[in-house]
Amino acid sequence: MAPSSRSIVPDPVIETYKKDVDRTLLRENLRRTPDERLLALMDLQRFTAELQRAGAAARRHGR
Amino acid sequence: MTDFARLLRALHAAGVRFIVVGGAAATAHGSARLTLDLDIVYDRSADNLDRLVSALGPLRPYLRGAPPGLPFSFDAETLRRGLNFTLVTDAGWIDLLGEIAGGGTWDQLARHTTEMQLFGCPTLVLDLMQLVHVKRAAGRPKDLEAIAELEALADERDRA
Repeated sequence: MAPSSRSIVPDPVIETYKKDVDRTLLRENLRRTPDERLLALMDLQRFTAELQRAGAAARRHGR
Repeated sequence: MTDFARLLRALHAAGVRFIVVGGAAATAHGSARLTLDLDIVYDRSADNLDRLVSALGPLRPYLRGAPPGLPFSFDAETLRRGLNFTLVTDAGWIDLLGEIAGGGTWDQLARHTTEMQLFGCPTLVLDLMQLVHVKRAAGRPKDLEAIAELEALADERDRA
């Protein structure tokens, strides 16, 4: 089994940030295989690129 | 878009010794954060530099962000003279790292890896705890959210 989170010394700043982590996404990912996680990342990259393209087009048209 | 499958298969086919680190390693462990490139720490032995050139050369690597037309030659001598290279290729973005802050070289990191089957290739991926240690050691404010997510991921994995 991989190392446990118990080996991490808590840092108060990190603990504050941890409160905002969306753990539902993590639980969903943990149900996937590593391949599926990377394929989902590639989908997210494509979606991000499309949003950027659409935003740039909207700016060009003054919207 | 970075085609992780194509890059990993090319590296594997050429027998390159490397470790996946950074955001792609975090994704492989279950992170939900967006990353755009594949970061690898590579063994700097002479034979491995040849293997890297053989693997990535056909993908026409070029220095990312550099103006076109620079006399950049992706060969073993270039790799030997440098250490870290941020590249754009026909398969997307890849960073070749000779060493990383807080983690060291391929030799030093190899004991902190997990072997994963990625796209049919047995691949060394930096383990989750070492990813946290490396990011903490880097001490960059921009990494705080990423570290928090990795630590939450470790919590969730322990609970599962």
